[in-house]
Amino acid sequence: MDLHNLNPSSLKSRFTTRFLRALTEINARKPIASSSSPREIFQRYRRIKDAADTSMAYSVRSRRTWSKATLWRLRTPSHRRRLASFGRRSSLNKTRTTTTASHRGAVVVQITSRGGGLGVQLEELRELVPGGEAMDLCNLLDETAHYIKCLTTQVQVMRTIANLYSLE
Amino acid sequence: MEKDEALTAPRQPAWNTEVLNCATEKVGNHFRNPNWDNSMDQSDPFESALSSMVSSPAASNVPVSGENVIMRELIGKLGNICNSGDASCYTTPLNSPPSFDFSMVNLLNRSTLTPFSADPGFAERAARFSCFGSGGNSGGFNDPLMDSFNLSGNQSINVNGSQSNKNSGSDKKNSGVLRSSSPENAESGVSKEESSVSQQIQSQNDSGTRKRKSTPRGKAKEIPSPAAVDAKVASENDESNSKRSRRDGAPAGNGNAKASNDGNEKQSKENSKPPKDYIHVRARRGQATDSHSLAERVRREKISERMKFLQDLVPGCNKVTGKAVMLDEIINYVQSLQSQVEFLSMKLATVNPRMDVNMEALLSKEMFESRGPLPHGVYSIDSSPAFPYGYQPQQGLPPLNNGIPNTTETPFSMKTQGFQLPSIDRFTDAHPQVGSMWEDDLQSIVQMGFAQNQPQSYQGSIPTGQVKMEL
Repeated sequence: MDLHNLNPSSLKSRFTTRFLRALTEINARKPIASSSSPREIFQRYRRIKDAADTSMAYSVRSRRTWSKATLWRLRTPSHRRRLASFGRRSSLNKTRTTTTASHRGAVVVQITSRGGGLGVQLEELRELVPGGEAMDLCNLLDETAHYIKCLTTQVQVMRTIANLYSLE
Repeated sequence: MEKDEALTAPRQPAWNTEVLNCATEKVGNHFRNPNWDNSMDQSDPFESALSSMVSSPAASNVPVSGENVIMRELIGKLGNICNSGDASCYTTPLNSPPSFDFSMVNLLNRSTLTPFSADPGFAERAARFSCFGSGGNSGGFNDPLMDSFNLSGNQSINVNGSQSNKNSGSDKKNSGVLRSSSPENAESGVSKEESSVSQQIQSQNDSGTRKRKSTPRGKAKEIPSPAAVDAKVASENDESNSKRSRRDGAPAGNGNAKASNDGNEKQSKENSKPPKDYIHVRARRGQATDSHSLAERVRREKISERMKFLQDLVPGCNKVTGKAVMLDEIINYVQSLQSQVEFLSMKLATVNPRMDVNMEALLSKEMFESRGPLPHGVYSIDSSPAFPYGYQPQQGLPPLNNGIPNTTETPFSMKTQGFQLPSIDRFTDAHPQVGSMWEDDLQSIVQMGFAQNQPQSYQGSIPTGQVKMEL
């Protein structure tokens, strides 16, 4: 609980700064009114979530595949993303079906199971971790671990911010 | 300009970073793992695993008689091997157990010395095998072996000293010295011994796998390389039938017996997967020597090492063994984290931050309660080195807003109904009252499917700030 943990260059502080900046910007642009419709709340939610993901990905500075994938996903419009992902997927020797049902516009790829009974879980993991479609298991586990770490940081920071806000 | 306001406004909320860091750093410290900053430096998990393994025999409550049995078993094996007289066959097995003998002897010395002294033949054999620095008094050792054990002579001399002075009270002092330095010596002894093993085996090697010679030498100092080194060493040596695995002393006998059976079975096979997630599988003799199976083995060990790391990262996975269940747990955890992020962003979307005044007051109050003054370094973040992308949220977000079609609402509601709120409870220790309130609100939103009527409970939480709306 001391001040030695206030590392200004840590992932958490980087993320916090960016996210707060984005949050204040969002709130400044469209302040919450008591009569906001759920639609507006939803839009706001989407913006905040994208801001959180973007700021987390930026805090990592694109050293990781998942951060690059997140940034790409959030920056590219969905139609261009689908075309690009088709090109990307065709380079992999896997059978695939693409659906656009997810609200993120993510591309669901079905991968033929190989390497034993881990195929289904590997596929799920690839879906979960952004940018995980084109990685082998070894790197995928690496990315997953880093992604988990960053997600927990994100959750902590956001929870604290939310608690601070709601305490007023 | 809006941008300027947005940029200058965070000057005050930047204090949040301190608060947040203080509040959550104690958990975050678990994740500030230097491994990740160095792009997964692999030596740390190995070292920690190794030291934990080496020190675990000491931690385990082995009875005195059991220790004698173990020591006699190991020494007996050594004796049988040495007495056979064929040194070249058994260079590898000779290299591996003595390091464990060191560790065992060091660790057992802590507990008791009288059993050693009581058995002169036992002590003599142990002394014979341990006093490498004093010159070859047993015929089974090669000169390269002498060199190799001279590297770990520091440790051996200590052991030798303790063994020879078994009747004097200075044993306690020696064992005290050993006690403090045994884990490091065990580790360094192991690593040095393995580098010496690799050098020694290569000196005897006459197979065509010469391209691997350079790599073990280059990696002689790295601890994760023993996995690769041992694999290659084992592949180059086709003469004996024992498979070693780095286990504790007590199950070493059982492990070796079982491993030798497995090694016998696997001789005929090309290459088979390791049974479980061993930390280490060493020197699998009689295996195929082609590069494919070796690379396969190295890859599998890397994967298992990363699974172990993930096991530490995901809470509640210590009891889980096996890749499939681990992966299930990991998937569940990642899903719950993602849903938590969405939940929290939803919460933030509905809470109006009256930031200008109250935030500072809250933050200052919180700071004075539990923490100290802020370091000024926080403000340097704003002027930190250039980000590669020049992050400008206000440009990035409006296109997103336009790009969000209305059809995304229904997937959202479907997805939020898939929220496992019990899983959120399981993984978080959020404020229960606030969390429960927002769970109800969230559910009410979801059930109404963004209908026109607003949930009434929002009224209390949203202070009546600015009524002006931009649309």
